Amino acid sequence: MTFIPLDQAPWRRPLCKSTQSLIKPWATPTTLIERVDAWRRWLDGRPAGKWLLCQRQPEAFCAALVALWESGRIAVLPTDDRPETLARVIKEVDGTLPDTPEASQNPLPPPLAPSPAAVAVVIYTSGSTGDPVRLTKRFDQLDAELAAHAALWPLAGTAVISQVSHQHIYGLLVGILHPLCAGVPFCDDASRYPEALAARLEEAGRAGLKAVVVSSPAQLSRLPEHLPWTEQAAPCRVFSSGAPLSASDARHAECLLRAPVIEIYGSTETGGIAHRRQAHDNAWQPLPGVHLLLEDERMKVRSPFLEKPEAWWHQPDRVLPTANGFKLLGRADRLVKVAGKRVSLTHIEGLLVEAPEMVEARCVDLGRDDGRLGAIIAVHHDVMPHDHLTRRALIHRLRSRLAPHMEPVAIPRYWRCVDAMPSNNLGKLDRGLIKRLFADLDDNRMPRWLGEQRSGADICTLTLEVPERLIYLEGHFEEYPLVPGVVMVQWAIELARESFGLQGDFQGLERLKFQRPLQPGIRFTLELTRRGDGIAFAFESSEGRHCAGRVRLQSRDGTGAPHG
Amino acid sequence: MSETHTTLSLELKHLLIETLELEDIAPGDIDPDAPLFGEGLGLDSIDALELGLALQKRFGIKLDAEAEETRRHFANLNALQALVEARRAN
Repeated sequence: MTFIPLDQAPWRRPLCKSTQSLIKPWATPTTLIERVDAWRRWLDGRPAGKWLLCQRQPEAFCAALVALWESGRIAVLPTDDRPETLARVIKEVDGTLPDTPEASQNPLPPPLAPSPAAVAVVIYTSGSTGDPVRLTKRFDQLDAELAAHAALWPLAGTAVISQVSHQHIYGLLVGILHPLCAGVPFCDDASRYPEALAARLEEAGRAGLKAVVVSSPAQLSRLPEHLPWTEQAAPCRVFSSGAPLSASDARHAECLLRAPVIEIYGSTETGGIAHRRQAHDNAWQPLPGVHLLLEDERMKVRSPFLEKPEAWWHQPDRVLPTANGFKLLGRADRLVKVAGKRVSLTHIEGLLVEAPEMVEARCVDLGRDDGRLGAIIAVHHDVMPHDHLTRRALIHRLRSRLAPHMEPVAIPRYWRCVDAMPSNNLGKLDRGLIKRLFADLDDNRMPRWLGEQRSGADICTLTLEVPERLIYLEGHFEEYPLVPGVVMVQWAIELARESFGLQGDFQGLERLKFQRPLQPGIRFTLELTRRGDGIAFAFESSEGRHCAGRVRLQSRDGTGAPHG
Repeated sequence: MSETHTTLSLELKHLLIETLELEDIAPGDIDPDAPLFGEGLGLDSIDALELGLALQKRFGIKLDAEAEETRRHFANLNALQALVEARRAN
């Protein structure tokens, strides 16, 4: 079927029978128009203007959206359905659509055709300060971008399976509006699960349609290999957007789904900017109609998808021009992507410091494969967690504080409670310190480092925690896990080597005393004192002293002085 | 409660903690009746994908295409355990 732009009401085109073979959970143009009219009856006589639309199911969403447009209204799309998000958006709208329209006997008013210069949708994104930024998209902006997609990746003879939310611009354009303009089926919200994706691919294949998958790195990096990804049901194209896909995930997804994986780079403000297929080239190419100026690692964009198509837009991503396009180097501000969602670190920190326990909070992107955020929090001394239960309770309180404001994936997963924010000699919490704070995530043999204090050249006090997942706890006592004594001695030696740069080989132990078991979750200090022939150490916590002793070290050149 | 039942329950708790990197959670903290997602353990949509992969890897369990079904199995630890007991392949 041919592509019809939004301003020519593609949903009102004469029906074609070819897509009738797909039934629920697929949405087809036939089923859609009845629902649009039900909404139009319901809307008749209600206030004009901006209406809040938050619907999980793509078909229900699409019907309500079209009804708003055909009645001359604007759709306001909150990014998620968190209570705080909705409460904020409700203040800015003239009405909120219920989940379904009540049946109404109102006569059907004639549908209005959208005008290119009219506002179609209001969407939100996170600004660098953390405050939501409100953006409008006119029909001509949406149509320009849809036309670019139609030219590069026509949908005729396909069925679209979207795994991403249509409350965001990418999911809206690629997952809903493009199939709507092309008159091809799209399917329900459950297809975000890989098992449902496989089932939908199979159904599209049986109906003689090639599938187009609209996905994201979060999903493509977690595709199960065992599902029946067959040649017959292979999609003709897979889109990924929201964040860059790693080269290995791109390869894996292409191989498993047997289809080209095309990544789209853009933002809520700009719409799509560039695309790439990593199997061919990892540089990004601008989309048709998009002009780029790349200077000093910064990018300026001029595009018909922008609110002001003639003005240069400063995109806050750092870029590196290459012979055939550009590479992305990361954000220039404190916004990060978690599971494809834009998250402001400043926003999270702002919410955390409002907690009564909090002195200072830093939220960090750890750059781990799982994409999860870390939080480093300095809390008041009297609420500093000293064991598993108090730590867990504090983190639970802080998570609950964040939960109404953001989607669950954006809430930091890894928390480090510090007495004071660690800093380097420039007074900054640098990458090295952040790495040290979270090092136990990738090394389950070491205690969790939370800071250290030097008192003179020969005394160093480290603040540490016993990670619950310490490897040495395994199989010790299931009911009463504890850190074996030999491990404590080993920690003292290794940390002394790190803190004092000691090089000596182990010669022997003296005055070793184990006074108290050290259990997982316990926060403790390790005081290390450099001595002529080695080190002295003491493990202490709020419970008292756990272990103390001396280690004799022999320097490697045999002279007896262990200083490195 | 039989011994194998208890062993599997502990194995699943360890699986959750390891797979989802729940560093604040010890096996004893996981209430078998408490919701895993949202309130309760606080798991999210990415965790649901990871958990699906882990169940396949460890137990050879293939989840259904019905999302509602999947959500029911992931409701709490007991539901997850019932799924593993009924459908494990290894």
